[in-house]
Amino acid sequence: MTTATPEKASTMTPRKSKSGLSAQHRAWTFAARYGTLAVLVLMIIGFGMASPDAFLSQRNLINILNQGALLAIIAGGVTFVLVVGQFDLSFANMISLSGILTVGLMQFSGLPSYAAIAITLAVSCIVGLFNGFLVMYLRMSSIVATLATSTILIGINFWYSNGVPVTVGGGSGFTDIARARLLGIPMPIIYMVVILAVLWVILNRTMLGHHVQAVGSNTLASQMAGVRVSRVTITAFVLASLCAGVAGIILSARIGSGQVTAGDGFLLSAFAAVFLGASVIRDGEFHIFGTFVGVLIVTVTTNGLSILGAPSFVQFLSQGGILIAAVALSTLSRRVLGTQRH
Amino acid sequence: MDTTSTAGPPLLEVRGLAKEYGAIRALRGVDVSFHRGEIHGLVGANGAGKSTLVRSLAGLEQPDEGHILVEGEPVHIRNPAAAAALGFAFIHQELNLVSNFTGAQNIVLGSDKGSALRFRSFAGVPEHVRAVAKRIGIDFSLEKPVGQLTVHQQWLVSIARALANDCRLIAMDEPTASLGEEEAARLMSVAKALAAEGVAILFISHRLDEVTSVCDRVTAFRDGQVVLQLSKEEVTRPAIVDAIVGHSVVPGERKDHSSNSKAAPVVLSLEDVSAGTAVRNATLELHKGELLGIAGLVGSGRTELARLIYGADRPDGGRMTYKGRPYAPKSVQDAIAHSVTYVPEERRAEALFLNLPIESNLHVSNWKSTSMAGTPFTSMRKSKSVATQMCQRLGVVLREGGTRQPVSALSGGNQQKVVIGRWMALNPDILILDEPTRGVDVGAKADIYDRIREIAASGTSVIVISSEFEELLECDRVVVLSGGKTVAELEGDSVTVADMLHRCYS
Repeated sequence: MTTATPEKASTMTPRKSKSGLSAQHRAWTFAARYGTLAVLVLMIIGFGMASPDAFLSQRNLINILNQGALLAIIAGGVTFVLVVGQFDLSFANMISLSGILTVGLMQFSGLPSYAAIAITLAVSCIVGLFNGFLVMYLRMSSIVATLATSTILIGINFWYSNGVPVTVGGGSGFTDIARARLLGIPMPIIYMVVILAVLWVILNRTMLGHHVQAVGSNTLASQMAGVRVSRVTITAFVLASLCAGVAGIILSARIGSGQVTAGDGFLLSAFAAVFLGASVIRDGEFHIFGTFVGVLIVTVTTNGLSILGAPSFVQFLSQGGILIAAVALSTLSRRVLGTQRH
Repeated sequence: MDTTSTAGPPLLEVRGLAKEYGAIRALRGVDVSFHRGEIHGLVGANGAGKSTLVRSLAGLEQPDEGHILVEGEPVHIRNPAAAAALGFAFIHQELNLVSNFTGAQNIVLGSDKGSALRFRSFAGVPEHVRAVAKRIGIDFSLEKPVGQLTVHQQWLVSIARALANDCRLIAMDEPTASLGEEEAARLMSVAKALAAEGVAILFISHRLDEVTSVCDRVTAFRDGQVVLQLSKEEVTRPAIVDAIVGHSVVPGERKDHSSNSKAAPVVLSLEDVSAGTAVRNATLELHKGELLGIAGLVGSGRTELARLIYGADRPDGGRMTYKGRPYAPKSVQDAIAHSVTYVPEERRAEALFLNLPIESNLHVSNWKSTSMAGTPFTSMRKSKSVATQMCQRLGVVLREGGTRQPVSALSGGNQQKVVIGRWMALNPDILILDEPTRGVDVGAKADIYDRIREIAASGTSVIVISSEFEELLECDRVVVLSGGKTVAELEGDSVTVADMLHRCYS
């Protein structure tokens, strides 16, 4: 029985694809898997045709990656929280805290930059642990818990900075973190590549990552299979917070100061990127490569529209529109495929 | 009472009802009628057809053939709302109550007609609810959330809800399964009082003592047919047991097992283990390499017992000994570390990661085995080859995509094999399988039992929990669990389906 059936399966597949529905079926399959990627390619072609010199120049392409680097680091961390089946609303204010704290520790307390960075990263982890603790041990919904954390962080930010930007002093090499280049490539791009690679390996090639996916897929079954659900979930929160902390440090080096509102803009764009990414290749599942594609879509939209001189309201309108269009395209095509199968 | 039940057409009559699920004929021409003022007991082993009948009456299934008549008029029960409109209420074991609503709010829920926007008071206990509560002797506060009530009290709330909706017929599925004796008796007296008021009551139970003492009429099912209908005067326990089992209880034949398992050392022993009301004084011994069956019906405490051994719940009495040492697993991880493993009954809810690949489902408890040598990183090649080997060993038929396709693409039987394979890879000392063949086709069932025997032959002590008693004939020894107690231990020739059923209904 076991030897005969694989044969049967392999003979069945080509017959199916030769049937009358096949062309349409293949089109929908393509749309479901690659629809979001196609949107990205079409956008690049569109902007390229609208302003070939400015948009498609090597300088601008590097610029796009540089602009998207922080968003990619942040969204990569958020991806973990969503894969494990939770939500994090606190990362935006974590970004702000990270910038204020790093610069503040150097300016107010006179610490060397490496010490300030180390303390800031430790604080980021503590914030993630706190989120995880609220969710797993106090059984709070993650939306409520991280909303509360977020609000607390705003308070701390105003308290520590008195509400005014904390500026990096002259002469320190701190701003080089974001402004230096390696072989002509801006450092943030290098951080992004390294961090996304590490996150990808953790999620797809380690026991922790497999367990993160298992908990997100079925918490009860994870428990019954011996997965330490609390530990895994808390680790996901810590990773998200740590990524936000790293991004906050780079951001403060880029703009030369720590500011209370520095991270605010990342909240919606990071979620937009992660949700766009969930429609890339896999069926509505969050994954690191998808998130990266989502980040590119968000960044290309902003960059392309500003090159074309579109007013800023157009940027928001089109970002929202693209999110709806890309996700709707992939859900719709999957639904069509689903009904054809039955 | 007799006058009400014989005068005029019955409240509900079923004629020639038939229903097939694929090759399985769940109902083959069932005739039965239910009268006002009567408690009508439905009995039968699992899969005998009584639940399919009830589901048809509740509008959850559409019968293939036959008629349903209400007061002599043919009706078509399209959906649960249609059943409710006819004045039928169905109370299942998992009571459909909103746990943070109060008793009164639950009783009113759904019966409230009129505009959704009309102002209503949501506090207190309305007058008509108070009347209903008085009718069935509710003596606890209806202003408490039902989550804080006992199971018995929750049943009363459910019954009150049915009465508030002016129900003419109330079907109760295993109402006493999770109740103590005294509470069960009180619930029975409520049922009697309702019948005396003219309500027709359908009573489905595995507890034959209750059936014989409380029912005015008993219908026994076997293999989708009505095999016996008795009125109160004729009801006797042996008659019902014979009807359920199919023949009178005599020692039967069974396959010869070289049951030398008792010679092997004891791996796990339970002494008077108890937990809440579900498990009461369970005592058993498990030998090395033995295939031990636990026969138990719904509500016998079989799953609860397994969860105690697996560390998912904590016992509150008794002693467990494992490999000669006291055993009290603190968690599931602790049990697994002791090489004790468990395949849950609810496969989709408690065991599978449906959207994840077969590989992830197989390796979830043992990802370490797929790491690249000396690193914490998974080798995808190793993951695939280990999974493919395991699938071959289990007889899982892979389609295109191999072990990378989501486990949801497999049939129920193959999914179950994947869950079993998860533990096989660990070569555990103890493997507990809870209803391993539920929702599995016949071919896969045989396959699964082949695997189970192989596992036992390799030295693992296996416990199979099942209410499909035919399957337990495969076991070296069978322990019968009833009401949370181990009531019998059968071995050798005494393991027959009839005997197991007989002990379950003791």
